[in-house]
Amino acid sequence: MSIMELNGGSVIAMVGKDCVAIASDLRLGNQSLGISSNFEKIFAMTDRVYVGLPGLATDVLTLREQFRYRLNMYTIKEEREIEPETFVHLVSSALYERRFGPYFIEPVVAGMQKQPNGSFKPFIAATDLIGCINFAKDFVVAGTASTKLFGVAEGLWEPDLEPEDLFETIAQTMLNSVDRDAFSGWGAVVHVITKDKVIKRTLKGRMD
Amino acid sequence: MDISFALTGKGYVLIAADTTAARSIVKMKSDEDKIKVLSPHLLMAFSGEPGDTVQFAEYVERNMRLYHIRHNHELRPPAAASWIRRSLADSIRSRKPYAVNLLLGGYEPRERTPHLYWIDYLGTLATVPFGAHGYGAYFALSLLDRYHDPEATLEEGLATLRRCIDEVSKRLVVSPGKYKVKIVDADGVREVEL
Amino acid sequence: MPDGSYAHPQQRQFNPYTENGGTILAIAGADFTVIAGDTRQSEGYSIQTRYAPKVFRLTDRAVLAVNGFAADGNMFVKTVKQRLEWYRHAHAKDMPLRAIARLIQTMLYARRFFPYYVYNILGGIEEDGSGAVYSFDPVGSYEREACRAAGAAQSLVQPFLDNQIYFRNQTPAPGTSHPTHLPLPDVLAIVIDSFTSATERHIEVGDGLEMYVVLAKGRSTQELASIRGAQELTPKEGGDRIFVIRRELKKD
Repeated sequence: MSIMELNGGSVIAMVGKDCVAIASDLRLGNQSLGISSNFEKIFAMTDRVYVGLPGLATDVLTLREQFRYRLNMYTIKEEREIEPETFVHLVSSALYERRFGPYFIEPVVAGMQKQPNGSFKPFIAATDLIGCINFAKDFVVAGTASTKLFGVAEGLWEPDLEPEDLFETIAQTMLNSVDRDAFSGWGAVVHVITKDKVIKRTLKGRMD
Repeated sequence: MDISFALTGKGYVLIAADTTAARSIVKMKSDEDKIKVLSPHLLMAFSGEPGDTVQFAEYVERNMRLYHIRHNHELRPPAAASWIRRSLADSIRSRKPYAVNLLLGGYEPRERTPHLYWIDYLGTLATVPFGAHGYGAYFALSLLDRYHDPEATLEEGLATLRRCIDEVSKRLVVSPGKYKVKIVDADGVREVEL
Repeated sequence: MPDGSYAHPQQRQFNPYTENGGTILAIAGADFTVIAGDTRQSEGYSIQTRYAPKVFRLTDRAVLAVNGFAADGNMFVKTVKQRLEWYRHAHAKDMPLRAIARLIQTMLYARRFFPYYVYNILGGIEEDGSGAVYSFDPVGSYEREACRAAGAAQSLVQPFLDNQIYFRNQTPAPGTSHPTHLPLPDVLAIVIDSFTSATERHIEVGDGLEMYVVLAKGRSTQELASIRGAQELTPKEGGDRIFVIRRELKKD
């Protein structure tokens, strides 16, 4: 019985042209038994920063609360909203604080990073459960279907996808990956983030 | 092994739990109430490690009461669920964690909505239309997938609950004999006979 | 102890198996089949060789891909080939594909309690001229399918194939339907993409790619003409034909 596979669930984030997308499944299980088909693992940190938290479900909720707290403290102190890259370091330090008794979560961050000239650049990153950051240029995956997500994403993803094409790519990657994973699935949710808006779509998936 | 079910319907939450208290192969008691009334519109079925269950349930009960006295207002179901979950989440990483699984059913009079939460000893919280703990879950969840209706009347809800209990009685080797069923709705909480 | 005896009980163990990495894949078309495998052979983090074929021609219409424990794989292919030769001597013809599939099952199940530690994928042309893929588990359970990936990168490749070959999670435009079989150039492109993807993300996959293409009797070789370096293995006759196409994969 692996703690990382107790509740199941997967998250993926992808970079597009002036946009990013982050998607997750909706299953919450207890090993082989499905408990809920509306357990969201992706949370908005700001209007432009989203975090996906696949792993042990109790830690999904605990970390969401903790990130909200730390983010509020940051926003009050700095009098501005956090940027995605800064947020990843916040995530990383929060996880590394528990180096020898970790939270069993592998966070994925997606957002639009403000540039010095005022424009926005797509940003994604993921960390392991103790906060080692992976800044990827293309896509990042995590969760029980991560190997499947790697394979499909590597085959479907291409650079500079427009928001609608990026949505199609990440949705197909997610759906086909979780269909081969017993611990993930039961529907999925996709967020496509651009500089001025976020589109959230809930996908129907196989219910087996 | 304790068994508990809960389901929502139109304006109510039904919670059922078996009434046996067993130690090893011996049935010590057959009229144990495993559903606590936490506040005028909040019910909690608890199961798990004997000892921990009652200790934790009473701890929650007193804290809910304290909040009610201090603020002259009962904690709303989502807030109560968050507080209880947090207690269990802190507990699981402590030296002696509580091994308690819960079904928390509440009714919000102002918005007239039923709330049901599935919570386990790790501090996992899921908002569900219906839920179950124990071996009963393996039989009841598939039945509830088929027969649950969020718009069902109380009679229909009780009939669905009856199906779950009957199926467990029929198919589970170590099935318990009796259940206590409680309901929470606009009128508050009360026990119902099946 | 001084007398050569042991002070404590000793335990020894011999492990007769190892995993040698790599991935294999086969896709059936309407009148052709593509069977492919990478050529890296590894043990742990060490590469033993960059060219160890995992795909073998059995007859003019059957190709076998073997993945798992390389020593078992090579031995198994050797014995299958031997059985096919005996069949030729006895019946003066090649064994049909579905019969080879059943033969492989019995050969694998014969070793039920000391199995060949290999996953087999058999591809080729059936007697009715259709492309076919048979996939096996190490003890002989098998099934005819349109496509299958096996080996180290199975979990990376199979969901991609579900999407691209079976069109899973794709809805056809109103009034249209998905094709049941893809044309050869599309299949080859998907195979190459699968292996470059697997090479990118899996350390045990890479170095080289061998794709065997089995064409049904009388089928045009037109589409293969435009494929770089397609090399025919069968003597040009009126029967089914087998071609091999080799590609480089990343070596890191």
